[in-house]
Amino acid sequence: MKILLALLMFFTFTFGADATIEVVKKAETLPSIAVEDASNDYDESFKLRFFKALIADLNVISIFNVDRHYRINEYDANSVVVENKDQEYVLRYLLQELDNGGLGVSIKLLQKDGTELFSKNYRVSKQNIYMFVAHAIAYDINEFMGEPPVSWIKRKVIFSKIVAPMKTEIIISDYTLSYQHVIVKGGFNVFPKWANKAQTAFYYTSLDSAKPTLKYIDIRKGTVKNLMSSDGMMICSDVSDDGQKLLLTMAPKGQPDIYTYDLNTKKYSKETHYRGIDVNGQFMGRDKMVFISSRLGYPNVFSKTLGHDDVEQMVYYGRSNSACSAHGHYVVYKARETSNAFSENTFNLHLISTKTDVIRRLTATGVNEFPRFSQDGDAIIFIKNYKGQSAIGIIRLNYNKNYLFPITSGRVQSLDW
Amino acid sequence: MMKSIVLSGVVAALLVFSGCSEKEPVVDSQNSEQVAAPTEVTAVETETVSAEDSMVNSSTNSAEMTMAEIESKLPTIYFAFDKYDITPEMQERIDAAAELGKKDIAKSLSVKLEGNCDEWGSDEYNFALGLKRAEAVKKALVADGIESSRISMVSYGESNPVCTEHTKECWAKNRRVDFKLIP
Repeated sequence: MKILLALLMFFTFTFGADATIEVVKKAETLPSIAVEDASNDYDESFKLRFFKALIADLNVISIFNVDRHYRINEYDANSVVVENKDQEYVLRYLLQELDNGGLGVSIKLLQKDGTELFSKNYRVSKQNIYMFVAHAIAYDINEFMGEPPVSWIKRKVIFSKIVAPMKTEIIISDYTLSYQHVIVKGGFNVFPKWANKAQTAFYYTSLDSAKPTLKYIDIRKGTVKNLMSSDGMMICSDVSDDGQKLLLTMAPKGQPDIYTYDLNTKKYSKETHYRGIDVNGQFMGRDKMVFISSRLGYPNVFSKTLGHDDVEQMVYYGRSNSACSAHGHYVVYKARETSNAFSENTFNLHLISTKTDVIRRLTATGVNEFPRFSQDGDAIIFIKNYKGQSAIGIIRLNYNKNYLFPITSGRVQSLDW
Repeated sequence: MMKSIVLSGVVAALLVFSGCSEKEPVVDSQNSEQVAAPTEVTAVETETVSAEDSMVNSSTNSAEMTMAEIESKLPTIYFAFDKYDITPEMQERIDAAAELGKKDIAKSLSVKLEGNCDEWGSDEYNFALGLKRAEAVKKALVADGIESSRISMVSYGESNPVCTEHTKECWAKNRRVDFKLIP
């Protein structure tokens, strides 16, 4: 018995913090929460839309069993509604229509006996961006409950959508796609990539000119700059944490290779020299990158130190691993599970740690691609194409949960957040 | 005409931005925050100065006819799944295209090779695969005696399908390199 216990403790401590190990939290062990609407302003349809957005966000933070019933109560009522007496927590909110079309939201988190635990007010300039308030509320509740922060929930997603052959739109949205704003309409523009942490500017590849051209849009100023062109390919694959260095895939002589570009010195440095395909450079810390190379005769994940010639194979499983992203010592990659030229193929995302030999499969069906870690490494965003439907997916690593947000038309080409 | 549209677009965009940027966030007194909402921005005007456009604008009618005629005789080169090597059958097509390219009527023209892939992947690797297909065709053309300075390349990955059904015939049609003439 003692040996068993010791073994159990050994495994708990060794693998407890490893995201490559699947964590299955049982639903019944999570505390329950219900939501009460105390709003007098706005029509029923908007009130319900806000309620649904909030419920969805509370679900995504994965720390509650969320009750889906819509209940109404007074904002200052001393007790929760009868139906919510058995809930451990109640979140009550009040929507208020402000001058100039603004939206104000007050919330309080209550215990079932009516004791107030937490309260806060929010305000946005337009009613139609209400979902960002719901995301902020979920972020704050999660933080109040002492869970690791879910900063990604408040971030904006940028993606390019193919609307017709050689026709795309670049869209800025929230992570659920309920808010969508087309920022570049018309033309053939792909691979948008945020230029800084504050998400005030982005890079993208324009394929409308004679040569693929990297462009830069400052959202605040509304300016477009042409940065550089290359024959064949020109993609900004990654931006360093401080926003000062870029990993580019270029092919000045028809040969796709990875280059670092320093925005301060305006100097390039060629990082890969293989005669086949080297693409998809992703920073791994300050001095290393992971990338996709065909140097073994099929696409696979490799890493190297920037400015040096050492190349290390990262993945030893699968015969076609053609996209990747890194955070800390974790690497997520896309693997082709079936190799059939003549029928539907399955591509799944897998997670590895450079410190263990464990591989964790993150998806099960369809074509799952373009994985990108959130900045804090808590979640992975990806594109899922399944049965003619294109969607953006979010994987919460520590909770073993996937969420899908389908787009109504077109096909997601690439994304960033 | 085009310029004025672009200009008015830029002016309109600037007006919108200057209007937005002045507003300071209004924040409630205690324990409240301004939720970071995306800045509303009008769509950026996309420049439409593509090679195809300049061809239409700058050439005379007769030259256009000739170019269109030549282009219609140029082949499409198809590739196997996940491959960029040229089969003997496709080599014959490239040889014929090179012969056409050496004729007096075509000597002043350049060609843009557009590499394309099937729908299995929107990642950079797929774009690179399209480019390696274009590069393989370029190498074959150069070996046939076409000056490499007359050839440029681009990859459209899976974004330029000629066929959008989810069938094997359709995927095979999309794994291709197209020839586009540039004056």
